[in-house]
Amino acid sequence: MIPSPEGRPEETDLELINRWRAGDGRAATRLVGRHSQALARFAASAGERDGIEELVQDTFVRAFASLDSFRGESTLRTWLFTIERRLMLDRRRSERRSRETVPVEESDHVSEYGALDGLIAEEAQERVRKSLDALSPTQREVFTLRVQQGLSYKEIAEVVGSTEGAARVHYHNAIKTVKEFLKDE
Amino acid sequence: MNKCTDSDIQEMLPDLLHRALSDSERRRVEAHVATCESCREDLDVLRTVKSAAVFAPTIDVNHVVRQIPPYHTIVPTTERPTTTRMVSWLVAASLALVALGGGSILLQSNGSPASGSRVTPQPPIANATAPEPTKPTQAESVVAPGPIAQPVVARPHALALAAEADGLSDGGLVQLMNDMDDFDALPGSEPDPVLSVDSGDSL
Repeated sequence: MIPSPEGRPEETDLELINRWRAGDGRAATRLVGRHSQALARFAASAGERDGIEELVQDTFVRAFASLDSFRGESTLRTWLFTIERRLMLDRRRSERRSRETVPVEESDHVSEYGALDGLIAEEAQERVRKSLDALSPTQREVFTLRVQQGLSYKEIAEVVGSTEGAARVHYHNAIKTVKEFLKDE
Repeated sequence: MNKCTDSDIQEMLPDLLHRALSDSERRRVEAHVATCESCREDLDVLRTVKSAAVFAPTIDVNHVVRQIPPYHTIVPTTERPTTTRMVSWLVAASLALVALGGGSILLQSNGSPASGSRVTPQPPIANATAPEPTKPTQAESVVAPGPIAQPVVARPHALALAAEADGLSDGGLVQLMNDMDDFDALPGSEPDPVLSVDSGDSL
């Protein structure tokens, strides 16, 4: 048990998983509540613009369906990020395929820009988003997992399917790029 | 501004933001940052990125939970076993086909009169017509099994002759039998004709 901000002991993820396995549906609510926003932020930082709620939902459905394969060797959140990242890659692949077959209409551009304008509320967010856009997809994933989610290099390596050393290199290159970008702005 | 060369400290800066350092580590990092302009700048960048996290929609937790079936009703690998079973059946069927195909090809090649190298004339006929050979001495019986394969290469005409045995006249057949008496490579996997004749007589 870990102490909650209110002072009462808070159940660990593994304890909640066991409770859910024992038939306690409230444990699932606690787990989803605990991790859903982090998953949404990760998806947004990784460049997802539409369907983030659906993505988070799919991540949880998949995760709960295969909880038996979760051994607790990594944290549940790291495992969830791994699942979500795979779903994002699948989604991008299928989007690429559909883009290859369906011509993009002018109205698509307009709606995309409109959605982005709505998403970026403040100037600081806009600057950060632009600086993250300057990174390669892997650099962006590593950097946001490290800075915004606070994952260790070992955990990041698990999520992106790489090594700790490679994650370190991506992080250092990313912070250099972001630093220069924010300085120039 | 000089670039910081303490990579340990640089790597711990995100952990400082997330309060993931032990007290001693935190004190060490904070003391370094106080004197290192480069790390202070890095820390500012990290703070900006962390606080200005890209907008993400609020997730409706209850809606997500409603999509999750209870534990005991979940069959996580519904598709996979079916797929695996299908693949197993396909592999088994393929192997069976290959085995059948290979077997039939072997049978065909063995039955074909043109494929001489595997045809082995049957010794019982030779036993019936040939005079009783003398028993090999111990030295011969020890040496005989050794060079079984050599005559096959050395005397291919004998095998070719055997392959065409169906079309031989009686005289030719007798000639073939006589040749076979000298052909000591063939009886390798067959019972010794001398011994079988002897044992039959004694009974």
